[in-house]
Amino acid sequence: MGVITVRSGWAVQSFGYRRWLPLGRPEVLAENLDRWGVDEILVQAIDRSASRSGPDFELLDRLGRIGLATPLIYGGGIATVSDAARVVQSAADRVAVDALLHDDADEVRRISGHLGAQAVIGALPLAVHDGGLHWLDHRTGRESELQPDIVELFRSGVASEALLIDWRHEGSAGAFDQQLLRSFPVSGVPLIAFGGLSEAQQIRSVLGSERVAAAAIGNFLNYSEHAVQRYRRQLAGVPVRPASFSSKGQQ
Amino acid sequence: MKTRRTVGIVDYGVGNHVSVWRAMHALGYRCRVTEEPAVLDATDVILLPGVGAFPPAMQAIEAKGLVEYLRSQARSGKPFLGICLGMQLMADASTEFGLTAGLGLIPGRVEPLRQAAWHIGWNTFEVVGGDPLLRCIDGQSVYFNHSFVFDAPPEYCVGVARLEQPFCVAVRRDNVVGLQFHPEKSQASGRQALRSVIDGLCDA
Repeated sequence: MGVITVRSGWAVQSFGYRRWLPLGRPEVLAENLDRWGVDEILVQAIDRSASRSGPDFELLDRLGRIGLATPLIYGGGIATVSDAARVVQSAADRVAVDALLHDDADEVRRISGHLGAQAVIGALPLAVHDGGLHWLDHRTGRESELQPDIVELFRSGVASEALLIDWRHEGSAGAFDQQLLRSFPVSGVPLIAFGGLSEAQQIRSVLGSERVAAAAIGNFLNYSEHAVQRYRRQLAGVPVRPASFSSKGQQ
Repeated sequence: MKTRRTVGIVDYGVGNHVSVWRAMHALGYRCRVTEEPAVLDATDVILLPGVGAFPPAMQAIEAKGLVEYLRSQARSGKPFLGICLGMQLMADASTEFGLTAGLGLIPGRVEPLRQAAWHIGWNTFEVVGGDPLLRCIDGQSVYFNHSFVFDAPPEYCVGVARLEQPFCVAVRRDNVVGLQFHPEKSQASGRQALRSVIDGLCDA
C-alpha cells in the first residue's frame, strides 16, 4: 500500500509527526503510484482534523479526475456519516478515521453502518514504551491508553482493518517497531503496518505475521521510480502480486 | 463506423460513481450518471454501482422509484451490469442487518461470508463454466472489498474466488451480469473485464 501524506494541500515527506518536507502535488504522486501498480493508495490529509476543516474535497475532486485504476483510501477531517459518504462518492473506495476515534466512536459506528465495515479503516498512531501500548492524539501530542470503547469497536468489527502507525519512527528507514503488532490487543482484526517500513527483509517479516494484511509505505516509495516493482521482486515467496504487474497493461 | 456505446450509471445516492464514470470514460464509452428513467432508456447498457450496506441502498432505490424500472429493464433484455453492492442488489434478498428484499433479477440470497469476516484486497478470479464474457480475466488478480456474498444457484454462478473454499463472485442470467469485485479499481484486469462484459452484452 502506498501512502501519500498531505499537509496544507501539498504532498509531504513526514518524519515522526513533527517535520515535513514538500514533495509536490498529491495527485501527481497518486498518478505515479497508480501507474507503478501499487495495490492500494492511502491519502491522508494530516491537518484537516486539527483545523476542523473537514475532508479535503477539492483534493478528492482532483484525485477523481485522474481516473485512478487503483483502490483509494482517504483519511483526514472525516467527522460525520455525511462526510464519509461524500468522500466515497467523490473518489475514495474506503475511508480511514483517526481523530474521530478520539472524538466520537459512536459516529464511527454509524459510518460503518452506512458504508459497511469493509469500507472503514481505523487509524491508530501508537507507540510501545514504559511497558505498555500508548495511543497518540496527533492534534494535542498527548498519549493515552487505548480506551476500552475503542478496543471494543475493533473487536466488534466496526472497522474492517486497523492501520497501526508507528508514529515515532515514521520516515526513519527500517525503524518500524514490530512490538506494535504483538501488543495490539484485538486479535481477528487484520492489521496494516505503517511507519518506518523501508527494507524488504523487514517488510517480509511484517507480512509474515498472520495478523498483518498489508504493509503501508510512504516516503520510501518516492525516492525512486521503480520502488514498487523492486519491493515486489525482493518479496518473492511472500503472497504479493508479482513484480511485472502494473496498472497500465493491455486493455 | 461503429458508434460509441453509452453506459447509463444509475445514480441512487449510494456509490462510487466518479470512479466508475472515470473507468468507463477511459475505455471510450459515453456515460450518463442519472436517476432519470428517460435518460437511462437512451443508453446501451445499465450499470448499477454501489458501495455500502444493502438495506440503505435498497431504500435509496425505492425512494427514487427505480425498483420496477430496473426490473423491467432487466426483463426486457437490455444489457445490465451490477458492481459490488450493485451485484448484491440483484439478488432476491439479503440478510445484512436483517432480511431485506432485493431487486430479484438473479435468483439467490446475499449472506455473510462465512470463511472470514472480510474479503478485502486482491485475489484471483476463476471463471466457471467458461463464460465468454469473463474468460479474459480467468486466473488474474482483481480487487475485492466486501463481507457478504451472493449465494447463487450453480447455474447462475460464472466466477469464483477462494479463501479456504471457493465462493461465488460473478453471476449471470442472460443479459444481466453481476461482479462482486471492483473492475474499475482492478487496474488492467478490471478494465479488460469491463470492456469484455459491456461489449459482449451489447453485441449479443
